Amino acid sequence: MRAFNRIVVILLLAGLFALGVATVVYALDIDPYRLEDFVRTLGLDNFYQGLRNYVQNVENGKIDAFDVVVLGLIALLGLVLLILELKPRTPRRVRMQSGTYITRSAVENEVATAAEQDPEVLQSNVSIKAQRRPGAKVNVRASIRPGEDARSIQSKVRDQVQQHLARVGIPVSNLKVRIFESDPRETKTRVK
Amino acid sequence: MDDDLRLARAVSEAALTTDGVYSLGTGRYVEAATYGPGAKVSGVVVDPDEVRVHIVVRYPLAEPIPALAERVRERVTPSVGGRATTVVVEDLKVVHDESL
Repeated sequence: MRAFNRIVVILLLAGLFALGVATVVYALDIDPYRLEDFVRTLGLDNFYQGLRNYVQNVENGKIDAFDVVVLGLIALLGLVLLILELKPRTPRRVRMQSGTYITRSAVENEVATAAEQDPEVLQSNVSIKAQRRPGAKVNVRASIRPGEDARSIQSKVRDQVQQHLARVGIPVSNLKVRIFESDPRETKTRVK
Repeated sequence: MDDDLRLARAVSEAALTTDGVYSLGTGRYVEAATYGPGAKVSGVVVDPDEVRVHIVVRYPLAEPIPALAERVRERVTPSVGGRATTVVVEDLKVVHDESL
C-alpha cells in the first residue's frame, strides 16, 4: 500500500503543480491565454453539466443497471483500499522474544548455510517473512540434480534447517522446503 | 541532546564489552544512530521511551542468540535510565579462531 499511496500522491501533486502553473499563466493574461477562457479550456463546463444531469437522474430514480454495477464496484474498491490501509504493516525484523529482534537477512544467511550443508543441494533460494508474533516464516527452494531422491533430500534439508536454527536460537513459525531439479550448469555449485 | 549522546556512548561501550558481540550494526534501511551537535554514535538509537541497540554477533556462537541478547540487555540496562531496551541482531560475523 505504501507504493500505491506514493504513486497516487505523486500523480496528485504533479496535477496540482501543472494546474498551478496554468493558473499563473492564464492570470497574467498573456496572449492567447485569457483567464476567462481557463474554465472552458479545462473542459469543466461540460463536466459540471454532465455531473448535474447525472445527479438529477439519480434523484429522479433514473439509474440503469450498468451505473449500479459501476458504483458498486467503486464502493467495493474503496472498501478494499480502506482495509489494506488499516491493516498493520508486516514487521521488517523477525521477533525472537520480547524486545529482541533479528534482521531477515541474518536469518536468510543462516537458513542458506544450513540448507547448503547437504551435498546434494546445489543451490538454495531463501525467503524470510517476519510476523508480528515471534518466529519467522521461512521458504526454502533447493536445487538438486535431476534423478535424485527429492523426497528424502527435502526431509533432510528440513531437519538440517530446523536443527541449525534451533541451535542458533532463531524461532521459526512456518518452514516450507521445496525441491527443484535443476541443470547443474545453471546452478551456483556444480559439484560438491 | 547531549544527554542522549552520553547515554548512547555508555550503551555502546556496554554492548561492545559483552562477550559474543563482534561490533555494533549501522541499520539496514535507515541508519541506526544517535545524533548530537557535531557527533553521532552508530548502532544505538535513543528515543524518549526506548533505547535500541543494534549488534553484530560473533560466529561461531558460544550460546544461542536469545541468551546473548539477554546478556546484552542486562549489561546496558543500568545505563538506559528506565527506558525499555530493544536488542536488534543485525548480522552474524564469522570470526576465525586465531589460536588455531
